[in-house]
Amino acid sequence: MEFSNIFWSVLAWMVFWAVVGSIVTRRVYLQRDLDTSNAGLAGSLLGASTGPIGLIYLWIKAPEVSSRMLVVPAIGAIGLFLISFALADPSNLCVTSGSFVASQISNGLIIGIIYGFMALGLTLIFSILGVVSFAHGEFYMIGGMITYFVTTVWFPDIGPIAGIAAACIATFMLGAIFERLFLTPMYSGKVDRPVEYGILITFGLAFTLQYFVQATVGANPVKAKRFFDFPSLRLPSAEDPWLIKTSRGNMELFETISISNPRFTAAVACILVFIALMYFLRRTWTGKALRAVSLDRDAAAIAGINPDRMNMLAFALGSMIAALAGAMLVQAFSWLPQVGAIPAMRSFVIVVLGGLGSIPGAFLGGVIVGLVEAAGTGCIPDAQKAASYIPAYGMIILTLTLLLRPTGLLGRKFSSGTHGKV
Amino acid sequence: MKKTIISVAGLAAVIALSFSVADAQAASCPIKIGGLAPLSAPGAVGGGEAMRDAMLFAERDINAAGGVLGCDVKVVIADTEGLPEKAAAVMEKLITQDGVVGVGGAYHSSVGVASKDISNARSIPTVFAETWNDTITGDKQKFIFRIAPLSSWASATLWQAALLVPNVKNVAIITENTDYGIPAAEETAKGLESGGVKSTTFGVDIGMQDFSGIIERVKAGKPDYIIVLNTGEAGYNFAQQAADAGIGPQDVPFQAGQVALESKAWWENVPDGNYAFVQRIGTPVSTWNDKAKKLNEDYKAKTGKGAIESYALEAYDSISILAQAINEANSTDGNKIVTALENISHDGTLGRIYFPYGTQKDPSVDGKGDEWWHQWPDPAMTMIQYQNEGEESTDSVIVWPDAYKSGDAVYVK
Repeated sequence: MEFSNIFWSVLAWMVFWAVVGSIVTRRVYLQRDLDTSNAGLAGSLLGASTGPIGLIYLWIKAPEVSSRMLVVPAIGAIGLFLISFALADPSNLCVTSGSFVASQISNGLIIGIIYGFMALGLTLIFSILGVVSFAHGEFYMIGGMITYFVTTVWFPDIGPIAGIAAACIATFMLGAIFERLFLTPMYSGKVDRPVEYGILITFGLAFTLQYFVQATVGANPVKAKRFFDFPSLRLPSAEDPWLIKTSRGNMELFETISISNPRFTAAVACILVFIALMYFLRRTWTGKALRAVSLDRDAAAIAGINPDRMNMLAFALGSMIAALAGAMLVQAFSWLPQVGAIPAMRSFVIVVLGGLGSIPGAFLGGVIVGLVEAAGTGCIPDAQKAASYIPAYGMIILTLTLLLRPTGLLGRKFSSGTHGKV
Repeated sequence: MKKTIISVAGLAAVIALSFSVADAQAASCPIKIGGLAPLSAPGAVGGGEAMRDAMLFAERDINAAGGVLGCDVKVVIADTEGLPEKAAAVMEKLITQDGVVGVGGAYHSSVGVASKDISNARSIPTVFAETWNDTITGDKQKFIFRIAPLSSWASATLWQAALLVPNVKNVAIITENTDYGIPAAEETAKGLESGGVKSTTFGVDIGMQDFSGIIERVKAGKPDYIIVLNTGEAGYNFAQQAADAGIGPQDVPFQAGQVALESKAWWENVPDGNYAFVQRIGTPVSTWNDKAKKLNEDYKAKTGKGAIESYALEAYDSISILAQAINEANSTDGNKIVTALENISHDGTLGRIYFPYGTQKDPSVDGKGDEWWHQWPDPAMTMIQYQNEGEESTDSVIVWPDAYKSGDAVYVK
């Protein structure tokens, strides 16, 4: 970084006024007997983006905090951060190369969509059962393993759809059976501490699954064949394919953005399944019943919905979603029994960021984490440290979320926690 | 006077007891030797399993030859997971709970760095098989030995081979942020600089899966040569994702990590991995001695692999050399085993193994650095290249150094 003083000075200024804004704004709203739920966040964002000018206006007027009051200063703060970075490091690739920035954004979006999809399952389970499933990463791993064995070892000539379907069916059933056998004591009042019980029992499942796979399959990395090759495309013309150019394993858009085949396939599948899931949850009776249970179990039971059955369905569906993410990625990454640990950890971050129990929030959180990781990897000047910090990016986001908005981006205050007390 | 008599009697009793304990220790069968290997992620599991199998073959062969001090030998395998904290814990367990009298094996440098102080403090001779970090022997600890090459020697292979690439000006080094990766990258960069070649080092986490962001950055730098220093599945992930992005082994001269020596796993995980260069420790197959050839046949029959890996040979020798030292020391006492190791001449699968420097002769006497302490000076290092899809690493062309060269390198571009 050529002029690091500029960057660090601006960052210190932003942090200072964000902290002042957060603390003082909350007190001002409290003194005036106004809703304080988002006052701290609004104050910190306005402080970071405008400094004392915006804050004084906010403290004098004390308007009701609207979405616009959060989004506009947030964009301003990000803009200020980016400008200071560009001034401090004018030769950085993220400043000088538009194509590099476009590539990193597309990378971040694609991996973010996959992250978000995996986190969907976790948030679905939490919103219905009030349980954070610590076996989520293992379902992801099993989805990939089953797909690998079906498509590469047992039936090498079979299409990938069969492998993915086998993974989905197996994990759906495994999730349903596990829920029936081990999670029902939570609802019937047989255990005094249902939250702790849920954590411990899913931890136990995680270890059992991981070591069972290691004992039966081994711990050597495996990988499924590419599900399909891109057709050879050169558009608009073979001589000058500025729009799109494909090879078997890669697609290049605008001679700038490079997307590998396995990641593209996985992201498209995740979007399609996400749309289908949203349709299922919003348009079908069962989906509406699931949402009703997540909102109020007692009212849902009075309306004729069986919450226990919804619990089973949610756990099975959530586990299957994780497995589906794994099934799509086993053609992209080397796979082994411990492969689920890092994605599961990242899913927890995404779920908190998006809002516990919020399905659109999980997707949005995944995209944000993907973009932040891509920005950090691509733009941090020291190449030796840029990618080493990837696990830290998620933790920074998690810490900021918990500090500024504990309910997450799209979360509500009481997402769950009833544990089947019908 | 009475007090003196009691004190003398007590002292005699303690001495007698300690002798009887020592005798019992010497006579207790089987004699246990620890074997460190990464058998779970994020360690290099493929390498760990190969080392485990080889160490168990060593146990079999030692016992078939009559064992040690009239006892059978039992190799107690311990899973390090490639993690320093786990390595320290399993070393402690091997010594205090399993009662091993020596320790062999170990793949990751971070494991060697973290566990050596424990075995040294407890006077347990340890022969590290595949841990390269210079400080492992550079700390000049009495009970620590190594038959793997030093990181600085291994790095020299990397940069010297890189300088042979036609018109090389700009090299990208991708390394894991570990006790192996960081110094190896630094030494390689220094060597490249001495040859007038610019390099950029990209550090990554040991268990990283998605390299897309860093690959874009590597690609933007337009490297003429790429060196990967990742162990474990990260080495496969980077290579194939780089290939998908157009900077893989078939697009740019590309030196893969050590995991590429696992040929079966390499071709399954990196189907576009042809033309990758890989550093290989140990002499070429054509020059193997009978011991290495026999082990290779047994290993192939057991594992179904095409050939034994170099680190498996090292693991086998690390156990065999300890067994020979115990026999020559005629004791399981750590100090006596160290003396035997310092004077040993062991005919291993890697060749004749000996340790010229140690307590009897400091490396500085010959103007050598501290890292030569208890270090085998002759591990052969070669650079091979996959030139046919699906081929075994042992069948691949040796492109460097000239002493072992079996064919010319193919430089893609």
